[in-house]
Amino acid sequence: MSEKKEMKELVKELTKTQEEIRELIKAEIEWEPVGPTPMPGITDLRSWDMRLLKTYKPWYAPFCDLCCLCTYGKCDLTQDRRGACGIDIATQQARIVLLACLMGCSAHAAHAGHILEYLIDRHGPDKKIDMGTFIEVEAPNIRTVTGLKPETLADLKHAIEYVYKEIAHLLDSTHMGQEGSALDYESKALHASMLDHVGMEVADIAQIVGFNFPTSVADTPLVEMGWGSIDKSKPVILVVGHNPATSTVVVDYLRENNLEDKVEVCGICCTAIETTRYSDKAKVIGPLSRQLFFVRTGIADVIMTDEQCINTNMPEEASNVGSALIATLDKVMYGLEDASEMDTDEIIKRMTEKKEHFAILEPAKAAEVAAKVAMKLAPQRKKELLSEEEAKKLAEKCTDCGMCERVCPNLFSIGDGITEMAKGNFELMKGLFNLCIGCGKCEHECPQGVPIFRLMQAAASWETWKVRAGRGAVMDTEIRKVGAPITLGTIPGIIALVGCSNYPDIEDVAEMVDEFARRKYIVVLTGCAAMVAGMTKDKDGRTVYEKYPPDFDAGGVVNIGSCVSNAHISGAAIKIANIFASLPLRANYEVIADYVLNRVGACGVAWGAMSQKAASIGTGFNRLGVPVVLGPHSSKYRRLYLSRKEEDDWTVMDARKRELVDTGEPSPEHIAYVAETKEKAMIMIPKLCIRKNDTPQGRGIKLNHYISLYKKYTGGGLPEDLHLYIRRAADIPLVYRKEVMPYLEKIGWKPKEPVGLPTFIGTYPSKVPIDSVIH
Amino acid sequence: MATVPYHRVNVLTGIKGAAILEKPEQFTKIISKAERPLLVLGPRLLEWSLDGRSVLEHALDIAKTANIPICATAHLKGKLTELEVTPDSVYDAVEIVNVLRDPDWKGVKGEGNHDLVIFFGIRSDLQNQCLSVLKHFAYKHLKTMTLDKYYFPNADFSLTNVTKDKSWKAFLEGLKSSLQTKA
Repeated sequence: MSEKKEMKELVKELTKTQEEIRELIKAEIEWEPVGPTPMPGITDLRSWDMRLLKTYKPWYAPFCDLCCLCTYGKCDLTQDRRGACGIDIATQQARIVLLACLMGCSAHAAHAGHILEYLIDRHGPDKKIDMGTFIEVEAPNIRTVTGLKPETLADLKHAIEYVYKEIAHLLDSTHMGQEGSALDYESKALHASMLDHVGMEVADIAQIVGFNFPTSVADTPLVEMGWGSIDKSKPVILVVGHNPATSTVVVDYLRENNLEDKVEVCGICCTAIETTRYSDKAKVIGPLSRQLFFVRTGIADVIMTDEQCINTNMPEEASNVGSALIATLDKVMYGLEDASEMDTDEIIKRMTEKKEHFAILEPAKAAEVAAKVAMKLAPQRKKELLSEEEAKKLAEKCTDCGMCERVCPNLFSIGDGITEMAKGNFELMKGLFNLCIGCGKCEHECPQGVPIFRLMQAAASWETWKVRAGRGAVMDTEIRKVGAPITLGTIPGIIALVGCSNYPDIEDVAEMVDEFARRKYIVVLTGCAAMVAGMTKDKDGRTVYEKYPPDFDAGGVVNIGSCVSNAHISGAAIKIANIFASLPLRANYEVIADYVLNRVGACGVAWGAMSQKAASIGTGFNRLGVPVVLGPHSSKYRRLYLSRKEEDDWTVMDARKRELVDTGEPSPEHIAYVAETKEKAMIMIPKLCIRKNDTPQGRGIKLNHYISLYKKYTGGGLPEDLHLYIRRAADIPLVYRKEVMPYLEKIGWKPKEPVGLPTFIGTYPSKVPIDSVIH
Repeated sequence: MATVPYHRVNVLTGIKGAAILEKPEQFTKIISKAERPLLVLGPRLLEWSLDGRSVLEHALDIAKTANIPICATAHLKGKLTELEVTPDSVYDAVEIVNVLRDPDWKGVKGEGNHDLVIFFGIRSDLQNQCLSVLKHFAYKHLKTMTLDKYYFPNADFSLTNVTKDKSWKAFLEGLKSSLQTKA
């Protein structure tokens, strides 16, 4: 047998056969016919990716000119040089992007796998998946990608094991000397990120079912947010991270021991959201940007970390302020002694007397220890916040050298605030604190050793806010109601504000929510974005959660939940295709993504995107056909997907007429885009909700918002590209007709026929027949 | 030691860094040699002022003196309109870079792609990333320059970090004079 044949045999052995896949997805149960791509491998959706990448070409901004991943390097990749392995700069960027997406995907998938095992241990593998009265399409991502309709926790395990397998294959491709095409790396990044949405969905369905989180309900409780909401006279347990396996057990322990009103449980980042889905007595401190500041106040008696987005220096930070630390998950051990098997009293003794920190991977034990240690430490807590007088004195050390600005990821000059503080003026610092993303680099670099975070204690607001507890999946009943207006355009769009807290300005998010909810878009939020949206009040003292209804409907503001709840946003787009348009989901990703891209006016906004998870969440939305607007710093992700509206080919197939139509209409114009300013984002977001499927009435509504937001945030007349989106005079919003018509005449605009059933299917080589998009 | 950019996020990880020019005449010489220069103006110009005069006005002086077409990014167009200046094109930062990297692009005047692009007033991390795109993917057909008061390693030609506004103002005014002389 030749070497090549041997290799083929080996690959065959290692790869699941179609029969095995059909068995895994229980193909014999005919809830829907099995579509063309059950549990797709790396290349199964490649043709769809290449079609997307033909219009939305990768834009690479190398963050580094070198490759330093192997000992051939460092290799200089400037000016068309190739690395010793042969890689060029574009392919290297795509490779790094794939790695980032894999990190994000694996973070969520490992979270899902962990929580699933924990809940299977607790409830058994046959625990039924019941998402409540109003949700029958319980797992749109899993159904669409894998072809599996999960009925039990054990079924979810099949889905996550599929994700694990694909991660291994994808990661393999990043080894030196393998993939040599930037576009193929992009296809792999899109694949990894689609899998991320499967992993997130597994995690959140398991959490909803296993922890009895809210589901099939919109009006979830409004919970307290802000450190001012903490009753400091009580013992305080702070949970940080994303995985609620331990924080929910802490709540259980307090409930069982009648301590729920005697001990404060609060959270930072997504664990905060998860914990408030479990207990409305839990409090949200805030997004990740508030982590270091709050930890350094020393208000927390016990800090419990789980996984993802936690300060990696937490043991030292905790020790500095006398807080006790428990690491609860294997991904974040900090070099601590694993006390999972240690006697509980012994742990408590060592934590309270010797001030030791431990890893405790057994949730019930960790919860008991946390509660008991917090109760012991709280009376001894001697953590005074800095007074204004003390802050002023410390601020006098600042020489305004500018080093803090030079290292700030967001380029803020905190030195101005400190020098003003030294003069007794705290106002500037208050504003800067609100902008601060909380990384702590300024303090670390300060040559005078000014304790900047402590200074902030004197400037920070102790205001409290309300945030709506995460509600999980969008209900099928809601989709039924809004499916038609969304696809026709009369609800102008779904705006999803997601991701981390690396904001140019924290208040931008609340402003975006307010602007679009007021204009009757549907606004959904997750993660840190969901928290910061609630950290601004209007003149009547209301947050956006109090001002707008919590329904997935025009003008609604919906906190979907944590990072893993992002799967419910992609899931909602998928459900529109299924519930409203009756397209089958089962293993039918290409058709569904094509539908979403061409007909569902949705736009993601990751204004503070920072992490690798944000990279995979966003890229997953891109593969599904949802454009994403990123904050200006996000060019550091290295890659965007941009079109060139005037020159690119905007031909689609009209599926009804079976004709190719050159629409000349760049809708959506980009699918991964960096907006330079909030003002620009405010203009781009409504534009990216335009779809070729819009009716004249719907298009008129969308253009009304586009023009009006353009005038509000830019000024200077009409949008330069307005003519590209006007098909016929009926598309022109009445209120602007007098202004728009002369402009169109001036530039020689000609009307064109709208496309009846726009689709990419039929415009590129695909196994999917055009009939499959007709519903 | 090589010059370290003012904002550390822009520290060069590589070999090919910008040439630092100090005198306005050096900038003028390069601008004058260019056949189709383009000035890309960003929204930071709305925030900066030197002795009470907006830096945007300095930028417009330079554009007018050297007859360089303008691309306005972000939401700058509104202010330009107020000042009765019509930009030759409106793109966001990443979009103008996206077209500039194509040697066959016709440019903002439809006369062919530009051979010199001068960036001024875009948030510095984004500006340096945009310059990175052109450094890697457009180096054969265009050169890049910056007029901001910071060193941008991914440009071809950059000022060094100018710590005193007085010096920066003198540079911008000197550049205008120098361009006038050349004209």
